[in-house]
Amino acid sequence: MRDLKHLIYFENLLQEANHALIAQARADGKVCVAYTCENVPEPLLNLDRACSIRLTAPHTGSIDIATYYMTNLLCEPSRALLERAIEGGYSFADCVITPDGCTMMNRAVENMELLQTMGKDKPGFFHEYMEIAFKNTESDVALSVLQCTNHILTPLHDNYGIDISDAAIRKAVADHNRICELIRAIGDFRKEEKPRITGYEFHVLCLATYVCPQYLILDKLEETLEELKTREPDDKAYRARVLLVGSEVDDSGLVKLIEEQGAFVCCDRFCFGSYPGRVPIVLNDGEDALTQVCRHYIRNCQCPRMMNQEKVYGRKQYVAELAREYKADGIIYQQVKFCDPWAYERTLGAAMLQNDYGYPVLSVDRPYNVASSSGQMRTRVQAFVESIEIKKIQRGGKHEDR
Amino acid sequence: MKTVEKVVNPVRRAGEQSPGKIYNEKLKVRARREWRGVRDTFYDYTRWLYLMSVLGRFIVVPRNIKGFFRYRWMMSYLFVPHGMDKFTIGLRDEALRIAHTSFNFVIADVTQAIANCFRGDRRVGNDKAYSDKCVITDENSMVTFMMGFDTDKVHTILREVPTMFASNIFHQFNVMHYLDIAQQYGIPGDVCPMPEAEAGISIEDDFCVLGCCAVQNNTTCDGSLMGNGIIAKRLEREYGLPTFQLATPLRHKEPDVLDYAAREIKEAIAFVEKHTGEKWDWDVYFTAAKRVNDATRCRIAQMEINSTPYPQFFGAAFSLYNDTNYMGNSGRNADFVAKDHKLLALAQKGYEAKRMYAREYRHRCIVWGVQPQYCIDMLYWMVQCWGVMPLTDMLSVINTEMIAEVDTPENREQAYRDMAMLNMEMIMRNHTHGGYKVLVDELWELCEQMNADMVMMWEHMSCKALTGMHGQFEEQARARGIHIMWVSHDLCDPRVFTRQAIRDQVNSYMRTVLREEPLDPSLEIIPDNEAY
Amino acid sequence: MSKIAKIPLILLGIVLGFFVVTFIVYFFNLDMKATAMLEPILEKWYDRLEHNQYI
Repeated sequence: MRDLKHLIYFENLLQEANHALIAQARADGKVCVAYTCENVPEPLLNLDRACSIRLTAPHTGSIDIATYYMTNLLCEPSRALLERAIEGGYSFADCVITPDGCTMMNRAVENMELLQTMGKDKPGFFHEYMEIAFKNTESDVALSVLQCTNHILTPLHDNYGIDISDAAIRKAVADHNRICELIRAIGDFRKEEKPRITGYEFHVLCLATYVCPQYLILDKLEETLEELKTREPDDKAYRARVLLVGSEVDDSGLVKLIEEQGAFVCCDRFCFGSYPGRVPIVLNDGEDALTQVCRHYIRNCQCPRMMNQEKVYGRKQYVAELAREYKADGIIYQQVKFCDPWAYERTLGAAMLQNDYGYPVLSVDRPYNVASSSGQMRTRVQAFVESIEIKKIQRGGKHEDR
Repeated sequence: MKTVEKVVNPVRRAGEQSPGKIYNEKLKVRARREWRGVRDTFYDYTRWLYLMSVLGRFIVVPRNIKGFFRYRWMMSYLFVPHGMDKFTIGLRDEALRIAHTSFNFVIADVTQAIANCFRGDRRVGNDKAYSDKCVITDENSMVTFMMGFDTDKVHTILREVPTMFASNIFHQFNVMHYLDIAQQYGIPGDVCPMPEAEAGISIEDDFCVLGCCAVQNNTTCDGSLMGNGIIAKRLEREYGLPTFQLATPLRHKEPDVLDYAAREIKEAIAFVEKHTGEKWDWDVYFTAAKRVNDATRCRIAQMEINSTPYPQFFGAAFSLYNDTNYMGNSGRNADFVAKDHKLLALAQKGYEAKRMYAREYRHRCIVWGVQPQYCIDMLYWMVQCWGVMPLTDMLSVINTEMIAEVDTPENREQAYRDMAMLNMEMIMRNHTHGGYKVLVDELWELCEQMNADMVMMWEHMSCKALTGMHGQFEEQARARGIHIMWVSHDLCDPRVFTRQAIRDQVNSYMRTVLREEPLDPSLEIIPDNEAY
Repeated sequence: MSKIAKIPLILLGIVLGFFVVTFIVYFFNLDMKATAMLEPILEKWYDRLEHNQYI
């Protein structure tokens, strides 16, 4: 297929945590709100002149200093973030907002605070830690509203004069939805039998919306969508269409690796992905925007820490529905090593998707830096793709509708 | 570096001077029991008879025999006397009596818990009328939401206690089978073995099946939260038991989570009322609340004694008794009150007599971190072998606030917040979660308060909450001149760190850093890696 | 000595006998040694049990 015009632009941006667009945003007078977790309502970090930047650590090499502080028993993403912070890679941040979601990410940010890796020269700088919802109930919505008020809105207003009014939230939601609609529309091309966008390309675009000031990439995303409408797909059949599920995937190299084995990543249900992170938020005029935003995040949350059984079963059903919608032949459940929530979620998810929904599943844990064990991952994915091919041959070459 | 005054025991210990000699590497149990002098040996013997009677009364009930042969974890309870020997090594006088009083009571409590499980278990006793009034709860969970239910009408079944937790106290290898099952089904080996083993028991279908409903809690940690999903799936889909997930906020020091936590308690209570058909009783609740306050006062008094040069109630006995009373009981059982006061009286008597439990106390140590100290007799060993006195452990540093105990309309509303507060201040979790202040800063405050010059840091390698602060502990201990001894382990999986490997970490530190010789060299190397 | 007068002696004998036997068992840890011999047999029993393994 013809290269997408802006793909290399986005790829280059993703090479650095502190990239050119962040510098531009700061020059524009923006307040850079760093965050680490999809459970923090993103529009609230993009109010007024605030812009959200989700922290990543591209091209992580040695994480020895972070390992001293956190030991090698914690997941590598959390250590990679701490290492990058110690190196000064997040000096752009004007504040850090972290939920007490998973323990490891929380400890990473606490270490950042104690080591004063950011904000030394910024009088308004703050760290905030929030409680986040565990269940999908109205009581949890009330908790979330209170937490967002106390740990996002009030500090942003008090420290940086950010407009946190209902109107400001609605505007931020509208901007957020525009990004979501673009990503959704781009992602929908993956449903095609001969898709005009690869999983890798989609992941690059989607990831950019998390780690870049969204207002600065809007135009390029719109252009990309227009470009895709007339892009001719390759006349090749993928050996298998797979849905990628799991914990953090902030490295498009993983998706590329999977697709190099002949699979097509037709859909994404992982942290930094488009489901549920790029599902538009529908607001009505009957209730304040903050409550509606919180409710949206709780209702749509697919994080394994959501603990009521409706959510536990619901996450698997969600994956099955995505697999059906995107015509996946198989599902890859992946987690970064030492991730406790996804260790259990992967186990139960793989079992249920196989036994209850009839999908072939590859269940795998991996290091954060995929390149360090690419041989092992390639082997696992190759074997999985071959097993799907064999099943297809046995069915006479047809995709199985479930 | 901070130093403390050495305290020398002027009294020569009666009986065995080198208890290490009674271990035998060819046996999985001790070659013989410890000679503690005539008086204390006779006392220990009478306690052994009592334990035998407790076990004997249990096993003569036919359904208990059936349960014994049905559930693999029951095998651990054959070694209860061995466990008792483990936790009384080198003890004499009041400390011996304290250990027996507390442990024997806990053992009797666990025995009753198993008997209750078997009575209602569909596969064993199948007493449906009884089972229909049983509520299954998590092991790592406060049962405050049950405080207002009459214990004669609604029965709280902590079924994970006898299956995983207590059984591991008496047999260090017993959970390995369940860990293997869990890992066979795909749960990685780097997660905490406690919830992993519980998930393995559920997968293996080795939990008793009884009750009208279950209440699960997200305490202690991510692992517990996630393991619940696997367990609840089986409970709901196979056994038709509705489950309620009681969410306990993590940021327990922040005031803006309390109302939510209180709402969760109300929901849990309503769930239990709905499924048991019994109503919450405020009289029952406030009676339990009074007991909780009484237990808190006793515990504070024990800690005050431990802050003196002559600590009395410490070690695994202290920790396990507190776990049982604070968490598993939460004021519901009146028998704990007399025990609390008896233990306090013994401790006060020992303190007044300046009793010591080693030849010297060279260091005063706070034991921090998540501990495997039930399957290894670590803390008594530490004081006997090296003169390092463990003043308290992290799991015993729990709530010190009084809760409302008088029945008034305002206190009924406050009661929900009190129960929520206790829930959030659950053992271990009140430090491992809620921010670095409760984990790191509070440790140094405790060192100051109890005049400790040393911290023995249990580094549970699967506990990410604690290991994530490793570097901060190191740096801050150095800045304060506090010795910090890191002792790694993997909780109830002894294949990763054997008992001797755990002890060797202390041995190495004491020899190489502090340049000390052991008080009792016979204890430095104990051939008990294969022992129960 | 009458039979009634012998009863305390008999009782004393029983108590002493009970004490001696149980104390020997206690002190030489015979109870746990015997249990340790039982353990492999019990393990084989538990290994033979069928379980409905299910996740």
